[in-house]
Amino acid sequence: MMADQTIARVEPVRTEAYLDFLQMLTGVGLVAFMWCHMILVASVNLDLGGGRVMNLIAYFFEATYMAQLGGPLIALTMVFHFVLAARKLPFRAREQKAMWRHTVNFNHTDTWLWIIQAVTAFIILIMGCIHMWTVLTDLPITAAKSAHRIQGGWWLLFYLFLLPMIELHVGIGIYRIGVKWGYIKRANRKVLHGFENKLTVIMIGIGLVTLFTFFFLVKAM
Amino acid sequence: MGRTLKFNIFRFNPEDTAAVPRMDTFYLEETDAMTLYIALNRIREEQDPALMFDFMCRAGICGSCAMMINGKPDLACHTKTKKLPSEITLMPMPVFKLIGDLSVDTGTWFRGMNEKVQSWVHTRKTFEPHAPEERMDNALADEIYELERCIECGCCVAACGKANMLPEGFMGATAFNRVARFMMDPRDERTNDQYFEVVGNEDGIFGCLGLLGCEDMCPKKIPLQDQLGVLRRKMGFSQVKHLFKAVMPGK
Amino acid sequence: MDTFYTDLLCVGAGLAGERVAVAAASAGFETICLSIVPPRRSHSSAAQGGMQASLGNCCKGEGDCPDVHFADTVKGSDWGCDQEVARLFAETAPVAVREMAFWGIPWNRVVPGKGIYYKAGKEYEKIEKREMEGMITARDFGGTAKWRTCYTSDGTGHTLLFTMDNEVVHLGVTVHDRVEVLSLIHDGQTCMGVVARCLKTGKLRVYLAKATLIATGGYGRIYRETTNCVINNGDGTIVTLDTGIVPFGNPEAVQFHPTGIVPTNILVTEGCRGDGGTLKDVNGERFMHIYEPGKQELASRDVVSRWMTHHMRLGKGVPSPYGPHLWLDIRHLGAHHIKTKLREVEEICNEFLDVDPITQMIPVRPAHHYSMGGVRTNKDGAAYGLKGLYAAGEAACWDMHGFNRLGGNSLAETIVAGRIVGEKISEFLQGYEVDFKTSIIQAEVKKQQEKINNLVSGKNGKENVYEIKAAMGDELMDRVAVFRTGAELQKAVDNLQVIYDRAKRIGLSSKPVGANPELSMALRMPGMVRLALCTAYGALMRTESRGAHAREDYPERNDRDWLKRTLAYWKSEDDTLPTLEYEKPSKVWELPPGERGYGSSKIICTEDPEICTPKPETN
Ligand SMILES: Cc1cc2nc3c(=O)[nH]c(=O)nc-3n(C[C@H](O)[C@H](O)[C@H](O)COP(=O)(O)OP(=O)(O)OC[C@H]3O[C@@H](n4cnc5c(N)ncnc54)[C@H](O)[C@@H]3O)c2cc1C
Ligand code: HEM
Ligand code: HEM
Ligand code: SF4
Ligand code: F3S
Ligand code: FES
Repeated sequence: MMADQTIARVEPVRTEAYLDFLQMLTGVGLVAFMWCHMILVASVNLDLGGGRVMNLIAYFFEATYMAQLGGPLIALTMVFHFVLAARKLPFRAREQKAMWRHTVNFNHTDTWLWIIQAVTAFIILIMGCIHMWTVLTDLPITAAKSAHRIQGGWWLLFYLFLLPMIELHVGIGIYRIGVKWGYIKRANRKVLHGFENKLTVIMIGIGLVTLFTFFFLVKAM
Repeated sequence: MGRTLKFNIFRFNPEDTAAVPRMDTFYLEETDAMTLYIALNRIREEQDPALMFDFMCRAGICGSCAMMINGKPDLACHTKTKKLPSEITLMPMPVFKLIGDLSVDTGTWFRGMNEKVQSWVHTRKTFEPHAPEERMDNALADEIYELERCIECGCCVAACGKANMLPEGFMGATAFNRVARFMMDPRDERTNDQYFEVVGNEDGIFGCLGLLGCEDMCPKKIPLQDQLGVLRRKMGFSQVKHLFKAVMPGK
Repeated sequence: MDTFYTDLLCVGAGLAGERVAVAAASAGFETICLSIVPPRRSHSSAAQGGMQASLGNCCKGEGDCPDVHFADTVKGSDWGCDQEVARLFAETAPVAVREMAFWGIPWNRVVPGKGIYYKAGKEYEKIEKREMEGMITARDFGGTAKWRTCYTSDGTGHTLLFTMDNEVVHLGVTVHDRVEVLSLIHDGQTCMGVVARCLKTGKLRVYLAKATLIATGGYGRIYRETTNCVINNGDGTIVTLDTGIVPFGNPEAVQFHPTGIVPTNILVTEGCRGDGGTLKDVNGERFMHIYEPGKQELASRDVVSRWMTHHMRLGKGVPSPYGPHLWLDIRHLGAHHIKTKLREVEEICNEFLDVDPITQMIPVRPAHHYSMGGVRTNKDGAAYGLKGLYAAGEAACWDMHGFNRLGGNSLAETIVAGRIVGEKISEFLQGYEVDFKTSIIQAEVKKQQEKINNLVSGKNGKENVYEIKAAMGDELMDRVAVFRTGAELQKAVDNLQVIYDRAKRIGLSSKPVGANPELSMALRMPGMVRLALCTAYGALMRTESRGAHAREDYPERNDRDWLKRTLAYWKSEDDTLPTLEYEKPSKVWELPPGERGYGSSKIICTEDPEICTPKPETN
């Protein structure tokens, strides 16, 4: 920088712009994945737990090696996303305390949203990894196998907890990308925030129905 | 009519070596059209002449009197007690350096901000005293004025979680608004790269978490959210475009 | 003791102080600005309406030029101003406005085509010319022949001050905010700087400077009901008066603004009436057209304030718990106009009155607004009596306002005077050296420290500072306001002398650690009462009516005996009254005394041949 000052046109250091852009991109990518993932898993509802549609989709992913390759890739993206996003998290105790005190005293919706996103992030990181490990080390994916896991009980609890975490994180994440990058404006903020909330509730709903189907309707392996 | 208001007011005088931060309680009979300006002055004149707070215009236009009113930053002078519950807690704004009781040093902070964002029209032209002025579309003048209305009260900074986490570094929405104001102004000849130098970093626009405390608390209703979005997009996308150009030198 | 050295010390960082600082800094001189508050919070930021400059761009301003602006200003002043200064001012104002545009003010601009405007409640049409598109436009203000008031919505002072401070930051001028000047350091001939108190730590400081500028703004807070902000206590005027050498010019010339809102006295801008708002009484009827068929609501402020007061005395005021008031009606301007051109007004009404000006009328009555008087200077801004001491802005009696200032002429004064005085100071500083005499500095610091000690220990007494302030404010408000009479003024002077005596016996009731606010007020209180005494006594002695000074017992303007400016001195600390001297208001008489064209007033003509024969070009 110092040396550069003799040059007429200073080239700015652009790293921060790239990182911020990538953070958004990985976020969007993960959201897209989670929706695809929802299609796969929720497809079990389509034939009321018969599992044929889900098996077909799963077969398609495996036949094209998308699961075998995509799985680890998703895991990598998630870790990358985590590393990028973690730059924004307070790691020093003083900062954490300041942020917490501010959030509690100030009691402001959007600030709480961020806290929720940060907290859910850690939960997702750990539980997501466990989940992915379990599923990806036990390929191929079939409805019956999944039902077997879920009907065991512990996995049901696991998913019942993880599901709202992930949907909250996704919902808030998308809303905040809209805000940060200027797509959600003062004029449409209320409407889009409401839309985002509804989307989150619907996604959790679909997930619950799916879990219900797995638990009661699908014939376990 | 005739409520008794209970005020819990933060007290600390850093110049008093024996003092520790504490909350003091005062009681006041509410009167017609009472504002916190009236209430605080009455407390000072009748109960505790040492109480420190700042007022100037008492009309909501100078930005002196921002404080945390029941947890939210706002201008005390335009806050009517009628709109508050009968127990009112007043704290100084966080982030800024405390001068004493409810008084904080916004002056130093904002001078620093103005220096950081180089808050003036950058131009190579020189002023010609006897030439007519350069023309400007009135609609554009109105748009610039819309952003120029910031009174540097600091509410947006006090309301920002990021600024609370990093009181030394983060520029705050008021700074982004200021940059957006100059970007809009054709008289300022700065390029995107030059603006990027100023705000294209973690203390600047990329540090903003989109918490929108600023947007929701600005007493002047400056369209901060819209400025933040535009600024991030301009700063972010222009640099990404730059990356593509660098990677693909052909075009 | 912290001691700072500089070439120029600007006491005050409002528009005037900063404009001078910018001039001196641009000329390469080291400059420090002092201010009680961060510079952008100075009271200049509260000015809403606009500033006058005869650009003549808008259709209703066509044909405007400095000559017309000059004539309006002189008439407005009721021939009390210095015509040389008024001329200089009118000529420079357009340049100053354009310079501010160059620095970044988003002045409202001419929009070509048909538009409607209101005058006296009636709708008219105007057509702005295509070739003027995008030039700086103007609005109508009281007492002017043309639309001449340039504006940015109703935040003109705010944008001016922010832009000016941007230049200050740009040039790297040092600003020490939260510093309060307590006294001047001088040896009877030369001013060397000031003793000040830091309002962050409460400690005393010394600033030594080759040139010192007083730009501390108005002193409206000596009145109970004023549109002025809470720090407009007149410190600059006090410290110069305290020298015993520098006179306080025209202390009795005090302007009341017709539209302070009731009860808080926050101003709603003259732009409301300029844009077509009307005044109405208890019956919802207009009345200004009865008294002033020509200019109606837009006669000069002194005239409108008087008729309002008169009308209320006739029992036509609207009764309220805060006394009678009148209505300002802007409803007919429409929501769009109010929301774009009068938005601060809308905000003030909503937030402080719970009134929606789009559908409701605004309760108003005259309130103290502006001090035409101040530190008397020559046309270069140099104070009488002390070398190296200057003044500019509202604090000064540069004297382009005489006995009544026109709306929009004060913002203009700050930057025009700032520009001119700044250049003159730079000339003065060129090669100038001053010997800072340690003994004098020490003595002054000791004196201020002693004052503080006495207040703390209660050595002189235990009077409560806030009670004294209230008593003073009441006295001026009740007896030295819009209309004045000899008997009441005499009473005011007598009572103020008693109050002055009490003010010398103030004792603190709190522990003065750090920036104790009670101590600040106590330190300036005797000085404020001195200003009040100058005002009341000056008014008592002036047995005529001129501009804002309206004596009911002497209703005529007496050019024969009173075409002169009051110079008030406080010669000794033990005095209980100022010593008054007088001087001719102007050296040149480009526009000889005549009718103002509004405000009925009998005139006793002067026979002074020097004054009666107009001189052509000056300068
Ligand atoms: C409500 C209102 C509206 C107005 N509207 C208009 C308008 O529309 N058009 C127009 O032309 N005029 C208007 N005026 C008048 C005009 O705004 C002022 O006359 C002008 O701004 C004064 O500027 P200034 O620089 O002289 O003083 P100010 O802006 O008042 O600045 C004074 C400075 O001195 C400093 N200071 C004071 N005491 C001390 C001390 N002891 N030590 C150190 N520093 C000190 C203060 O901190 C401040 O920085 C209005 C006035 C009021 C009250
Ligand atoms: C499949 C899983 C995930 C999805 C779909 C997802 C999605 C998103 C999205 C869309 C955003 C908004 C991006 C932005 O503001 O630029 C975001 C932000 C964030 N994510 Fe994730 N994320 C996932 C997993 C994680 C994990 C595992 C972590 C780490 C522990 C994490 C931590 C964060 C944090 C801290 C933010 C906030 C960053 C900021 O405010 O700037 N996320 N996420
Ligand atoms: C490529 C990686 C992934 C694959 C192949 C995959 C596959 C599956 C499968 C097959 C199920 C059905 C239940 C089961 O078999 O146990 C499931 C459910 C679930 N997965 Fe994944 N998953 C992947 C990644 C993730 C990630 C990263 C998350 C979140 C962090 C996640 C969250 C969930 C949740 C919450 C459920 C329960 C669904 C419901 O509510 O119906 N998955 N996943
Ligand atoms: S943007 Fe709004 S909240 Fe922030 S300083 Fe300016 S006026 Fe205050
Ligand atoms: S509150 Fe702070 S994080 Fe950004 S959106 Fe506003 S500046
Ligand atoms: S005192 Fe000026 S904004 Fe409150």
